[in-house]
Amino acid sequence: MKMTLLWTIQFLSVPVISPLCAGIIKKFKALLQNRQGPGIFQPYRDIGKLLYKDEVISRDASWIFRYAPYIIFTATVVAGTGIPLFASFLKNTLTGDLLVVIYTLSIGTFFLALAGMDTGSAFGGFGSSREMTVSALAEGGLIFSLLTVALVSGTTNLFAGSGTGMFAIGRSFLPRILAFGGFFIVLLAETGRFPFDNPATHLELTMIHEAMILEYSGKRLALMEWASANKLFIFAAMASNLFFPWGIAQGPDTAAIIFGITTFAIKIIIFCMVIAVLESSMAKFRFFRLPDLLIISFILNVIAIGMVYPL
Amino acid sequence: MKIETLKQYLPENVKTGVSGNAVFFEVPASGIKETARELYGNKKLSLKLIAATDERETQGCFKVWYIFGVPGENAFIIPFIRLKDTKEFPSLTPGIHGAWNYERKIQTFFGLIPTGHPDPRPIILHENWPSDIFPLRKDFHWQTRPAQSQGTYQFQRVEGEGIYEIPVGPIHAGIIEPGHFRFSVAGEEILLLEPRLGYTHKGSEKLFEQLSLDKKVRLSEKISGDSSFSHSLAFCQAVEQLGDVTAPRRARYLRVIYAELERLANHVGDLGAIMLDAGFNFGGAHGARLREIIMQINGRITGSRFLRGVNVIGGVAKDLTGEERNRLSGELPAIVKDFSEIIDGAENSTSLLNRLKGTGVVPYEVVEDHGVVGIAAKAVGIERDTRADFPYAAYDELRPDEVETEQGGDVYARFRVRVKEVRASIDIILHALNKLPDGPIRISLQEDALKKDALSVNAVEGWRGEIVYFITTDAQGNISRVAPRDPSFVNWAVLGHAGPGNVVPDFPLMNKSFNLSYSGNDL
Repeated sequence: MKMTLLWTIQFLSVPVISPLCAGIIKKFKALLQNRQGPGIFQPYRDIGKLLYKDEVISRDASWIFRYAPYIIFTATVVAGTGIPLFASFLKNTLTGDLLVVIYTLSIGTFFLALAGMDTGSAFGGFGSSREMTVSALAEGGLIFSLLTVALVSGTTNLFAGSGTGMFAIGRSFLPRILAFGGFFIVLLAETGRFPFDNPATHLELTMIHEAMILEYSGKRLALMEWASANKLFIFAAMASNLFFPWGIAQGPDTAAIIFGITTFAIKIIIFCMVIAVLESSMAKFRFFRLPDLLIISFILNVIAIGMVYPL
Repeated sequence: MKIETLKQYLPENVKTGVSGNAVFFEVPASGIKETARELYGNKKLSLKLIAATDERETQGCFKVWYIFGVPGENAFIIPFIRLKDTKEFPSLTPGIHGAWNYERKIQTFFGLIPTGHPDPRPIILHENWPSDIFPLRKDFHWQTRPAQSQGTYQFQRVEGEGIYEIPVGPIHAGIIEPGHFRFSVAGEEILLLEPRLGYTHKGSEKLFEQLSLDKKVRLSEKISGDSSFSHSLAFCQAVEQLGDVTAPRRARYLRVIYAELERLANHVGDLGAIMLDAGFNFGGAHGARLREIIMQINGRITGSRFLRGVNVIGGVAKDLTGEERNRLSGELPAIVKDFSEIIDGAENSTSLLNRLKGTGVVPYEVVEDHGVVGIAAKAVGIERDTRADFPYAAYDELRPDEVETEQGGDVYARFRVRVKEVRASIDIILHALNKLPDGPIRISLQEDALKKDALSVNAVEGWRGEIVYFITTDAQGNISRVAPRDPSFVNWAVLGHAGPGNVVPDFPLMNKSFNLSYSGNDL
């Protein structure tokens, strides 16, 4: 009974909490820029509003354009079941493998890029081309950073990976930190944040993620926005639980679970703040400098792996 | 103005007319190329404007006026040609690149053909306008609604493997004016960028010929909304020259103060917008805040945030009270301090500087050949500033010591020119407030007191660059033609030159660093 309840919470957490996470980032950004900003629940209202709005779909759009939002949204929800949120004992052996999580998310990216090109609009086309450039280069860093965690903990299951305490193996501390550095860069790239992409821009020519969903409206746009919030939340959760596995519940004890949920909430809020500070204090990078940054991520992770297995 | 010193610019044995600070003389159509080459090429005068007038009713001809400015002398030399029984005139464009769009415009709006012009496409008016109706001719009634016409506009094309065209606009995602941009790209790199404007054409030049004098002033404020004061200032000064009156000294000081406040508001707003477009949100937020502070000062002093309704023929309508004078003198140093902190923050951000430096370079030669004005010219080190070259209002007494320039011609140079001008503007305002003389703020001028069969040219350094107004009167002393030239009309032509070699995502940044007016271009 308890496990069913916990699994329900784990399953629903990602889609239910992710808009709040986006709202908190927006609020922090507004405060940092001397603005009042919308309330933290605004993303829920936006999604709700869009779900009731009428849609306009281009005559030239194929089934890919129509179904992509459902596929992408589902992909993020499935990936969300594979990552530890507040309890590491929920050993999900079906979708909890790091490669399954990474490539489930990649299915979403793949369809997102296809949908961007599907209507034949120039903006969607270059949005997709940029997204593919960035995500192809980010993939190496992403796999290697999670591989570092897997090597340290001896398992590719992410739940098990987060079960090993932070300082349990003294030697793994530095590799984890380096891998986190690499992972954080990938996180910014994959979720379309600064310095890769500006989620708040109105300038079509500079967009990456927004350019691909420019043709969407109504409930499909709602799903697209929701899916990108999910993705941000998934990456933030991975960053906080795989690299800083403090407080995560190791057993089905109510107190531990409540403590796990609380520490998880605090870690996510800290992440939101870091992203908000980043987006308020620096300029976006020139497009051709992005590969450099992603290669730094890759190198950090290679070093991290090298430190796990000193020759 | 001393006619003697201008003699060197005039051909010998020519009958000249003098009207205010303008010297005009007729040249046979076949000789205009020679005259223009002499003035532009040998005497190094700058081409301010080429405008046509339809004088078929009175003199049976069209006239084309070539307005050259003599910096330092505060005078204009205007050769003109008469087109009787012909619709063709020789094009200057093969020799003077800056004549390109002026001649295209004369062709589109008057139906006069510049022979030898390399680009016969219409400008501003689109394919839906019939190509045989010329709206600025006097026999075109301003309320005529011509039938819809069809046609296609030939964009320049780049051909080759992997070359794509990206059409952008005219409607954009942000709340900005409409304009179409056609990019030819290889991957992300821009090979060719061609702006196409005209979407905000309102028939302003025609409307100038219909409205009463007071309404003409109001119309001039709406040529380009962010330059309301500078545009109406240039118009009012041009009319004052025709009426042979000078605004009282206090009014001239107030005009300087208001004009610099307008420059200030736009420059800080633009600096913020440049930073915002680079994704530097800190600077973007503070730029918008500073602009708002200055707009509120404008609103408080004059009742209009955009300084509209302030300029009138013969002076200004809004005085500055002694109390307001002290308050403003106190506020400005605080704004400078605030501004400096923000700019320091920007100059210390490597991520921002990396975006600005080397982006959107316009070479010196391109700027010089197109006769570019304002910020874009100052950003390549050209010391061209109407306040210094053709002092108007009280700038002869409050002239800035030097023209603020930068080298490099990139986004960063245009950014720096604005930073320097903000500081200089505040100095000018403080100086003017300090020396503000007492006296009346306007003198009256009867509408029928304008000189007959005369012309007038006035130039004002708006925040973007030089605004020029050319006005002619008929035999009754009524204004028969008003030709405004916003700096945007000249500078749009070089925006395309900033594109090649840059990547598409940097275009909004380049565009913002020019921040040209669509309305001012389209009229």
